[in-house]
Amino acid sequence: MSSRGSMLFVLHAHLPYVNHPEDSAFLEENWFFEAVVETYVPIISVLERLAAEGIRPGIAVSISPTLGAMLENEALEDKLGLYISSRLELLEKELDRAKDDPALLKTVKFYQKLYEDAAALMHKYSGDLITPLKSLQHAGQIEIITTAATHAVLPLLARPEAVRAQLAAAAEDYEDRFNRKPSGFWLPECAYEPRLNSYLKLSGFNYTFTESHALDSASAQAPNGVYSPYRTSNGLGLFARDAASSREVWSSKFGYPGDPAYREFYRDLGYDGDYDYVRPYLGSDGIRRPLGLKYHRITGPGADLSAKEYYDPEAALARVDAHASDFLARRMKQTDDFYAARGSRPLIVSCYDAELFGHWWFEGPAFLEAVIRKIRAERLPLQFVTPSEYLNSCQEPQEITPGISSWGENGYFDPWVNETNDFIYPAVYAATDKMIETANRFRNQDLSILNTRALNQAARETLLAQSSDWAFLLYIGSHADYAKKRLEAHAADALKLLGEVIEKRVDEQALAALEQQNNVFPRMNFRVFASVSKF
Amino acid sequence: MPELSRPLPPEDRLVLLPKNPGTFFVFWQFSASRAESFRTASFSPEIELRLYYSDDKTPASSHKAQWQAGRAYLPVPERGGNCEAALYALRNGAWEKLLESNQAAAPVTAGMAEDRAYASLEFHKKVLS
Repeated sequence: MSSRGSMLFVLHAHLPYVNHPEDSAFLEENWFFEAVVETYVPIISVLERLAAEGIRPGIAVSISPTLGAMLENEALEDKLGLYISSRLELLEKELDRAKDDPALLKTVKFYQKLYEDAAALMHKYSGDLITPLKSLQHAGQIEIITTAATHAVLPLLARPEAVRAQLAAAAEDYEDRFNRKPSGFWLPECAYEPRLNSYLKLSGFNYTFTESHALDSASAQAPNGVYSPYRTSNGLGLFARDAASSREVWSSKFGYPGDPAYREFYRDLGYDGDYDYVRPYLGSDGIRRPLGLKYHRITGPGADLSAKEYYDPEAALARVDAHASDFLARRMKQTDDFYAARGSRPLIVSCYDAELFGHWWFEGPAFLEAVIRKIRAERLPLQFVTPSEYLNSCQEPQEITPGISSWGENGYFDPWVNETNDFIYPAVYAATDKMIETANRFRNQDLSILNTRALNQAARETLLAQSSDWAFLLYIGSHADYAKKRLEAHAADALKLLGEVIEKRVDEQALAALEQQNNVFPRMNFRVFASVSKF
Repeated sequence: MPELSRPLPPEDRLVLLPKNPGTFFVFWQFSASRAESFRTASFSPEIELRLYYSDDKTPASSHKAQWQAGRAYLPVPERGGNCEAALYALRNGAWEKLLESNQAAAPVTAGMAEDRAYASLEFHKKVLS
């Protein structure tokens, strides 16, 4: 059946760079391990399974440079292997503990398979999950895009040099990792402002995404609303996020993830289990923490955590099937309504954080698979397209300049600029300004290897200080001490290194330690921060 | 109010950032000599933050603050658009311009913000809890 509309599905995968080789069980590294087991492995498995059956997923996946670096970090891969092994060891004990409780036993077995699948996929790719993603892109099954080097909220970087550094480092990182130049750019937090049009184009990007309300305050009326792409005056392609398809997945009121059959995020064996029993699987500090073994379901709206019932994987999958059907029925109605009104086929752009699928919404990967399968099985007149495919085949998009916006709470920059986190900006700007000044000073000088290394590491530290994650963690009060320490350390280390180069007294031992810990962007050249007239 | 745990190099800096359609965030720092001038009362402790429209440099609004405060939230002037800030201090009865900021663009209100499904993991985490 010919298509009556197209769907562009974007999964944005990002984690802040967390790498602590000095600690064998660093709490925040669990963010990465949990996301690998619950999100990245299941999504890659879905994509590979579909591709193997001749069902082309046709989605776009954004991999942030910091996440990409973690996925290729051998020390983290080793720790991930230990994490998975320890969970499998615990699950063996859990099988015995649950042997007289059929409902619990079913869920324990389900988790055992989840971790066995993760171990198998990691083994298949020798621990490097970039390999299957690269293969899927090479085979034309998906399109991989990138985002700012350390996920900085670009409209909050006043200096053009800082924006350029975020874009240039990301483009180079992508080329190194995926062996081709990037075409698409995911704006961190969907944070857009018009000056980014030229910066993105000058950095070699062809298209990006904005929030839907960016069109409400655009320079010209957007006749097709979010249902078609646009272009800026300098030829940058723009896709606007469809609010309806987002709401069904994200919203607390209407969203699928709140279904009573779905897994409850907050009940975890790390909190529920007998302390001595779970102690070997906690960190060296012995403080209870999530172990990733969550045996309960949401059960009901407002149900007390203690009143949650056991998770039933089969019942949850039945709801996945119903939700996938509902999601597609709503997309069909959108396309039918648009076609009836306009006589043309709409494009529905659905963008989500990848970690929603699996980590937060445990059944998310199964939902994604069900949606893609149903289009084929039920011969629905919808097709998944990648952004580049769509731009290459659609009519010349209308020119527009969207309004300043983000996908954060309230639609602008409040989550990253408020009284809980605004104190960080003097440190971010102190490092950034000094980095730019020093890059300009030394850009044309012959430098010793040691001084070059110090300047390159200062550039890495400056980029890491600019990450949106520190402000956000401070805002929500989660891991706030860690966020503050990281932000302050990156800014201080950048300033220290720059000072040492200027004063010709680089501490090589301290530099080597920083290079080992914050080893992102291996080809970093500090000159990326130097002023360029066209920027 | 949270603060940095370690001091920053004393430098002159005034930065204006967009927050939302109604609010700019501004922060400032002083070089050691300027800070000393405030400490020794060469400058009055109350400073003035003036906003200008960037397109024609006309004054848009002005706001008082204490020099040590280091940061403030300013209402976006009526015309919105691109603005820049300047920091003035009073010495011997005359206002002196000490710092100038970058340009910052205020977002335009798009409406319906509260109805939208904002995609942030932690937002999602909160609403599901």
